[in-house]
Amino acid sequence: MGYAESPSNKSSIINPYFSDASRDYVYKAYISAFSNYFGGILVVKKINEQEHRVVFTTEMGNTIFDFSFRDSDFTVNRIIDQLDKQLLINVLEKDFRALIKERLLAEDVYNKVNDEIAKVQIDKKPYFYTFENSRLTTITRIGNQKEKVVFEFSEINDDLAEKITIIHKNINLKIELTSI
Amino acid sequence: MSLEEATVLRNKVKTKAATTKTITSDFVQYKHLDFLSNDIESSGKLAFKAPNKVKWEYISPFAYSILFKDDKLFIDDGGNKSNMDLGSNKVFKQLSQLIAASISGDMFIAEEFNMEYFKENDGYLVHFSPKDAQFSEFIKAFHITFSQQGEVMEVKMIEPSDDYTHIIFSNRIENQSIPDAVFAQ
Repeated sequence: MGYAESPSNKSSIINPYFSDASRDYVYKAYISAFSNYFGGILVVKKINEQEHRVVFTTEMGNTIFDFSFRDSDFTVNRIIDQLDKQLLINVLEKDFRALIKERLLAEDVYNKVNDEIAKVQIDKKPYFYTFENSRLTTITRIGNQKEKVVFEFSEINDDLAEKITIIHKNINLKIELTSI
Repeated sequence: MSLEEATVLRNKVKTKAATTKTITSDFVQYKHLDFLSNDIESSGKLAFKAPNKVKWEYISPFAYSILFKDDKLFIDDGGNKSNMDLGSNKVFKQLSQLIAASISGDMFIAEEFNMEYFKENDGYLVHFSPKDAQFSEFIKAFHITFSQQGEVMEVKMIEPSDDYTHIIFSNRIENQSIPDAVFAQ
C-alpha cells in the first residue's frame, strides 16, 4: 500500500467543517434513497462546545427533522410521521454524528508522502480519516473489511466544505450537499 | 378590529380574489430558526392562474421550482424532476390548496381555520390557525398581511416550534396573461 505506520500513535485529529459556532452552515441537499429522490435544506449549527443542532427542512421551510447531538447523547426534537422509523433515524444519527464530530483521537496513523490516514472509533465503529496535504478530504466507515459509508469533502475554502457527498455502499442511499 | 371591519376586509379580499385571474410576483423568503445567527434567505418568482395553478420558483441561491396543477405536485430541483399525486396525501393536498388560497388571500374558511383580525398601519393582519390536528402538526398558524386593497403582501407560516418562514411579495402584477409554458411540467 505504501503507507507507513507513524510512530506518533494516539494523536488527536480535527474535523474543522462544522466547528465554528459563529457560523450558520446551510446546504442545499439532494437525496436519492432507494430510487426515490427528494431535496431540501440541511442546516448545521454548533450551539456550544458540546452540542450541534442538525435540521432538515423543505425548500419552503417546513421542518422534516430536527436533531440535537450533545456529546454521546442524541435527541430527536422533531421528525415528520412518514420518516419516524427507528431504522432510518439510526442511519441518520450515525451519519450526522460522523459528519459533525470535531475532535477525535486516532488509534493509528498511516503516512504516505503528503497524505495521512487516521483510524478512529466512533460509537465503537472504525472510521478512517484521510487528510491530503493536511486537509480532511474523506471519512470512511468500515464494517466487515468493507467500505460501508464514504463522506467526501471538496471545494474547501476557509474551513468550509462547499460540497459534501455521503455515499452508502451497502444500502441505496446518497446525500449530496452544496453550501448556499 | 371590530366584527364589521373584519367583514369588510373579508369581502374585499373575496371580491379581489374572484376578479383575479392571474398573478405574477417576486418574493423574498426568510426562514427563521431560533438557533441560527441569521435567517436563511432565498428569492424567486411566483405565477398563479385561477383557480389552482401555482408555480413557485426559487432562483437564488439555488434553482428549485414547485408546480401545483391538476391535484398533482411537480418538482424541478436543479434539473432533478419528480412528482407526487396529492390525492394520496391529505396534508400535502391541503398545503397546496392553502398556497393557492394564500396567494389570492381567500383563506377565510371557517370550517378550516380559527381567525383573528388585526389592523396594521397601512393594511390588515389576519392570523389563520388550522383546526385540523394533522395539519397543525406542520403549521401552527398562517399570518397574512393584506394591503388596504385586500392584496396579500406577506405570508408568515409558523411551525409548532415557533420557527417560521416569512415570505414578502413585491412587483405584483394582476390579470396579465401568463404563457402556458410557465405551467408546463
